[in-house]
Amino acid sequence: MCSLQRLNYVIIHLYIMPSKEQYFSPAESLKLIQSMIDKTKNSISDKSHYFLLWGWAIFIGCVLQYWLKVIVNWPQHYYAWLITPVALVVHFYFTLRDKRKEKVQTYIGEAFRYLWISIGSSFMVLAFIFSHIGWQYCYPFYILFYAIGTYVSGSLIKFKPLKYGGLVCFPLAAVAELLSSDDQILILALAVMLSYIIPGYLLRQQYKKQLKHNG
Amino acid sequence: MFNDLDPILHSQLRLAIMSLLISVREAEFTFIREKTNSTSGNLSVQVQKLKEAGYIEVIKEFKDNYPNTKCKITKEGLVAFENYVKALQQYLNVKQQ
Repeated sequence: MCSLQRLNYVIIHLYIMPSKEQYFSPAESLKLIQSMIDKTKNSISDKSHYFLLWGWAIFIGCVLQYWLKVIVNWPQHYYAWLITPVALVVHFYFTLRDKRKEKVQTYIGEAFRYLWISIGSSFMVLAFIFSHIGWQYCYPFYILFYAIGTYVSGSLIKFKPLKYGGLVCFPLAAVAELLSSDDQILILALAVMLSYIIPGYLLRQQYKKQLKHNG
Repeated sequence: MFNDLDPILHSQLRLAIMSLLISVREAEFTFIREKTNSTSGNLSVQVQKLKEAGYIEVIKEFKDNYPNTKCKITKEGLVAFENYVKALQQYLNVKQQ
């Protein structure tokens, strides 16, 4: 041991570890580590409001468009999607509010953010592409992106309803391709109901239970 | 075997701080205080010791016009924590035998 290391050892034992500091055994150390890791497990903030916001926005958009297009026969049926910019404003409000409240950044939270930023960007690019080639082809692709987003999110937070909701969207995207564009709107509504709305409410319920449990 | 345990980590509050930071990217001072049930004064002292040992990084910034302190584990801290856990396991294994 060189003199510098010895000095370091003396400093640590005389100053950093004062004698009045409570002694604890290695078994207690492991228990403490485990309890602290368990406490951070529940630190993933509640994201259910995003799923519910977009789930309901898309669901209302689909039902409204179907009603305007198929039942009312109104040529400007696509006006139903004016709900998207409204949802976008609410989304940014939620993001700002959550950022202020956020006290911890987890690796899962970070993965979640990157995933949804890339999916959100993909939606914008898809909107640009379909505005050129025709919106009638868009629905299976949107369902496919809902599938990826919710399946990966559900896997990241180990929440089965979200994971299974996402999985169901994969065959729904294929089924939608076989139907008329009018029926595809209803399949899109079904996809968001199964992958966003139902898991969203279940996720909210789970967080409430967790909060109650943690006191 | 106890001699192998890192004295900086073999302290309840400092070990609690490191165990919290090991599983998150970064955490605010108030979050660590809540989870460890410690006082601000004691926590500040222990955070400073971990910072001086190079085990954590302390980031001071402003959030909504108020000072905000965030902590994150460093690479040295990660290695020290891993070695500490290994030493603990060795000790427990010897004890069991």
